[in-house]
Amino acid sequence: MTELPHVPVYTLMHDHVMVLTGVPAQKYHHDAKTLVDTTVEVAEYYRTDTWVAHLDNYNIEAEALGARMVYGEHSEPAIDFRDPLIKEPGDLLKLNTPDFYHDGRLLYALECFRLMKDKKKGRRSGTFCGPFSLAVALRSYPLLIKDIRKRPEFVRDLLTFCVDDVIIPYLRVQKEYSGVTSSGGVNAWASIPNLSPAEVKEWALPCSLLTTEKAREFGIEARSLVADYCEERLENFDAGVLHQAFDLQVASAGKPLLDLIMGRWQDYPLQPVLDYTAKYREQGIRVPVRIAINARVLRDGPVDRIVGLVKRFIDTFAREHELTISMHPPADTNPDHIHAAVAAVHTFGQKPVRENLDEIEFTPPRRESFTEWQKTRRAITE
Amino acid sequence: MEDFILELKRAVIEGEDDLAQEIARRALDGGLHPTAVYQAIVNGIQEVGELWKRGQYFHSDVIMSAEAFWASAAVIEPYLSGTETGGIGKYVIGTVAGDVHNLGKMMVVTMLRVSGFEVIDLGEDVPGITFIEKVKELKPDILGLGCYMTTTMLEIGNIIKSLNDNGLRDSVKVMIGGVPVSQQFADEVGADAWGKDAIDASEKAKGIMGVI
Repeated sequence: MTELPHVPVYTLMHDHVMVLTGVPAQKYHHDAKTLVDTTVEVAEYYRTDTWVAHLDNYNIEAEALGARMVYGEHSEPAIDFRDPLIKEPGDLLKLNTPDFYHDGRLLYALECFRLMKDKKKGRRSGTFCGPFSLAVALRSYPLLIKDIRKRPEFVRDLLTFCVDDVIIPYLRVQKEYSGVTSSGGVNAWASIPNLSPAEVKEWALPCSLLTTEKAREFGIEARSLVADYCEERLENFDAGVLHQAFDLQVASAGKPLLDLIMGRWQDYPLQPVLDYTAKYREQGIRVPVRIAINARVLRDGPVDRIVGLVKRFIDTFAREHELTISMHPPADTNPDHIHAAVAAVHTFGQKPVRENLDEIEFTPPRRESFTEWQKTRRAITE
Repeated sequence: MEDFILELKRAVIEGEDDLAQEIARRALDGGLHPTAVYQAIVNGIQEVGELWKRGQYFHSDVIMSAEAFWASAAVIEPYLSGTETGGIGKYVIGTVAGDVHNLGKMMVVTMLRVSGFEVIDLGEDVPGITFIEKVKELKPDILGLGCYMTTTMLEIGNIIKSLNDNGLRDSVKVMIGGVPVSQQFADEVGADAWGKDAIDASEKAKGIMGVI
């Protein structure tokens, strides 16, 4: 992608796209062209900077292996953790590498990646379920945690299966069929405090690194995030644990790179992040930092709060880090909130970033509704 | 006998479900009063809550302790009368339709139980109509609605509207919880309280019942 003149905005908004466009859930989660076309259309409406085909990433591989799913009438599919695929450790032996062209909705996912890369601004990237999260998808979180404590050898076998028999073959097919050159692994189960830093280090990090290493052998950059820090209890925010999480993220990426995605970054202090990156900044390294506007803030607003948050993130990080601002709007987010966030990033994040952002005048854009925008766009193109 | 109580409490704190169950069984066989045995596991899980509050326990620790609590509770409960486990009030809880996530709900149910609520867990992927029928049938003090996806959270507003339409809204307090919801969302849909996590939910539920 060409260098943008401002801090980029990255969006992950499949729930929101489905609700905004009014596509029935069943169609949205089975018809790749519908998902890609609506994603691109909504991204154009919001004027975001890059388009990625995000689907229900935590489900695809597990469903193809036979995990029981629940398809809600209006919601994204969910793995039925009440009835996990691996009920007993011995069940692992019954599982085989999926048929990527026939099992579950793997072909739907592959089609999404293929179609998206052909779109203008579309990335040549796929997604996959990170190995630790895939293990949870197959076994359920409580059982896997119990296994870690009581049957560690089984957990190692399960993670090996996830990497060698599922993820790596899937990434090969992503490259062959969809033409992707990079793939991002979702891995929320490997976040803190779902696991302690020690548990991430022992159980989630090695299989993520192995995935990266093996995928690189056939030309795919595959990285699955570990140790996203998302402590919900603000009173439990701990800079020491945060720094341990960052150490694990850097180890996972093989280079300094921080993801601040699921946490309450609207409330956490930002100074501990600067304290962590100081050692890199002293060496002249601009650490990539991807920080999210918290989904609840984005939904609840008000606009002034969202804009203030964007400004604070840019003021803190944009001058000495490679900043990306990420947004994951919930299904019923008011579009005005997203328009304001995108415009604020593009305005305050104009490069070179000004020393005093208060000197920049910003008025949230007044935008037409999605339906009005569609009508105008269609009138122009027809 | 005192050793049994301490060992049982420690087994719950350390998340040793098999051990906790075995100790509970031995304690009952040895003639310990069921209420004392139950109190040991309640004390254990309450200490886990404190460790969680202080950031010394991660979710994996809490889940294992909750498993130990339920494993031993299953052994003890047949010997208890209802008053030991549900004196504060009646709480009906479930995850809304389309949503099968149960981890957060399990933690909430655990904390409500040790706080003294009688908890009736309707499970996951519960149709809206079932919540209405159960409120009519069971007459709970509090109805807890959980959701864990931004698409399923929209169902909560529909259920509260149905409670209104059926003339039931004034008879029950409604609490909501789950990753995507917030106090603002609770206000928007007309819920009485939002539990940001299991500890917060149990404290607010006690507040609703006037026991804090």
